[in-house]
Amino acid sequence: MSQPMSALSNIRFLLQHAIRVELRNRHGIAGLLVFAVAAVYTCYQATGTHAEQESWNALAWVVLLFAGFNAVSKPWADDNEGVRAFLVHTVRPQDWLIARTLYYMLLLGAVSTVTFAAFLLFLGMDHLSGWTAVHYYAGVLLTSTALATLLAMIQALASRAGGGFSLIAVLGLPLIIPVILVSTRYGSDLMRGIAFGDTAHHLLFLATLSAGFSALGYILFPYLWRD
Amino acid sequence: MIQRSWKIGGIALLAYVFWTTFTVPLGPGLLELRNLERAAVVDGVDQKVSAYELIGLGTHWASRPDDLSVVLRKKENLTALTVVEVIDDTHAVIGLTLPDTIPSRSWDVLINHPVDGTLFLQNGLFLDGVSVDETATLTDLALTEFPSDLPHHFPFQPRIFETIRNLMLHVPMWFTMFLLMGIAFIASIRQLSQTAGGSSLFDLRAEASVQVGMVFGVLGLLTGSLWARYTWGAWWVDDPQLNGALVTVLVYAGYLILRGSVEDERLKARLSAVYNLFAFVILMILLMVLPRFTESLHPGKGGNPGFNSYDLDSSLRAVFYPAVLGWMLLGTWMYRIRLQATQLNQKLHRLNDQ
Repeated sequence: MSQPMSALSNIRFLLQHAIRVELRNRHGIAGLLVFAVAAVYTCYQATGTHAEQESWNALAWVVLLFAGFNAVSKPWADDNEGVRAFLVHTVRPQDWLIARTLYYMLLLGAVSTVTFAAFLLFLGMDHLSGWTAVHYYAGVLLTSTALATLLAMIQALASRAGGGFSLIAVLGLPLIIPVILVSTRYGSDLMRGIAFGDTAHHLLFLATLSAGFSALGYILFPYLWRD
Repeated sequence: MIQRSWKIGGIALLAYVFWTTFTVPLGPGLLELRNLERAAVVDGVDQKVSAYELIGLGTHWASRPDDLSVVLRKKENLTALTVVEVIDDTHAVIGLTLPDTIPSRSWDVLINHPVDGTLFLQNGLFLDGVSVDETATLTDLALTEFPSDLPHHFPFQPRIFETIRNLMLHVPMWFTMFLLMGIAFIASIRQLSQTAGGSSLFDLRAEASVQVGMVFGVLGLLTGSLWARYTWGAWWVDDPQLNGALVTVLVYAGYLILRGSVEDERLKARLSAVYNLFAFVILMILLMVLPRFTESLHPGKGGNPGFNSYDLDSSLRAVFYPAVLGWMLLGTWMYRIRLQATQLNQKLHRLNDQ
């Protein structure tokens, strides 16, 4: 690299690279989707299409949350000590974090979209109709964004510490509880027929949490990254 | 001596707090106005009067039974009731005569007594089978409120009763935990802002204060759970304050687990400092912002988690503030002992290695 690359092109390159690696190894993402659909199908077997409102809501968020956690917990090529040592000297840590956050947003967005679609397919749309389902889906997407911003940081921390999936869960789950509190409340509000305008502040709160997670990660990540 | 004085002061404060918390009596209050389902005999004449039993807690009616007066109130409407018989300090039979048309079905009950002062039972009386006309007025007296003539006592609170003493144990636990987590937060900032290759002294401080803070957090959960069982009827309820407390304890448990899973001292110091800063800021959002958006069972509800809105009267304040200060001093002392122990342990390991 004779010329220093700009931050934006760095981020774009890292993101493209991550997606390319992901698509080259398709069984990884296929495994995630099978996990998610199998979880949904288990819920369907247990409740049928006549789940009560509360159960529907609870099952949806439990499946989405754990599908998301599963998606970020697989090891990354960048976590390898040698690759990291190379990246430390070539890329600004913040750029790397932004690229990884964007990648997680795409990954979690895709996984939760498939999960939610499977959920609507199997467990029925008795409690959500028309625009309500769209509003619910907006909540799902914002939740996966918040998860992505938090877990990008937590995953890097856990892999630096040399812990596996259990460390991500131990460090990440307590911090994700505020997000889950807001999302489940938003979901149950929509299902109880509360107008979107009266419960939209939950979406705002999710966006604020995502922004907070990102800002904190942006400030703290360099300390995590360097040797 | 000066170095020790704050420790002695803390112990003295806690001794005072424990003594007063468990010895100061609870003030008097009204429990209920119970319908006896029979007619009362007033002035020797059998009138069409229904009899009620008024039950108090910690009251002193038998000492001056003739001075007990009972009043019903609904907004500006006041009407006196007849005291038929004072059975003992806490039980009295009340006769109720009301016109056919009254302004409201539910009434507040007030009593005046020279010893207990003016006591108050909100919506203590609900009347069935009367015709209600909101324009009707029923005012046959003016109410003068008495101050109570009792030694120092804690205020009577409906449903809380004697458990108000838990205020001195439960709330300071959280204050102390916040102080210790704040110490850990500042230590983590200083750990990260050192130039590369600095010592891990600040990291040890953060670890020690989180360890001690966790003790206070768990004690806060236990005392809170006990209190919730008594006043709200369940060991755990869905309340933003409780969610926040649980998440706090889980997050710091995660912090200690993270420390356990890293071998390298310097990496451990850096990673745990990063996680600590991350966690502390999110906890601040969770505990200071989120409860304001939702309803809470905790005092100061209506979205305000602050403690100013506790019904703290002067008798509670005189114990509560020393309790907070005393527990904080004790927590700081525990933190320093813990820190010294960790440092000595480290030194011992280093000597063993040589």
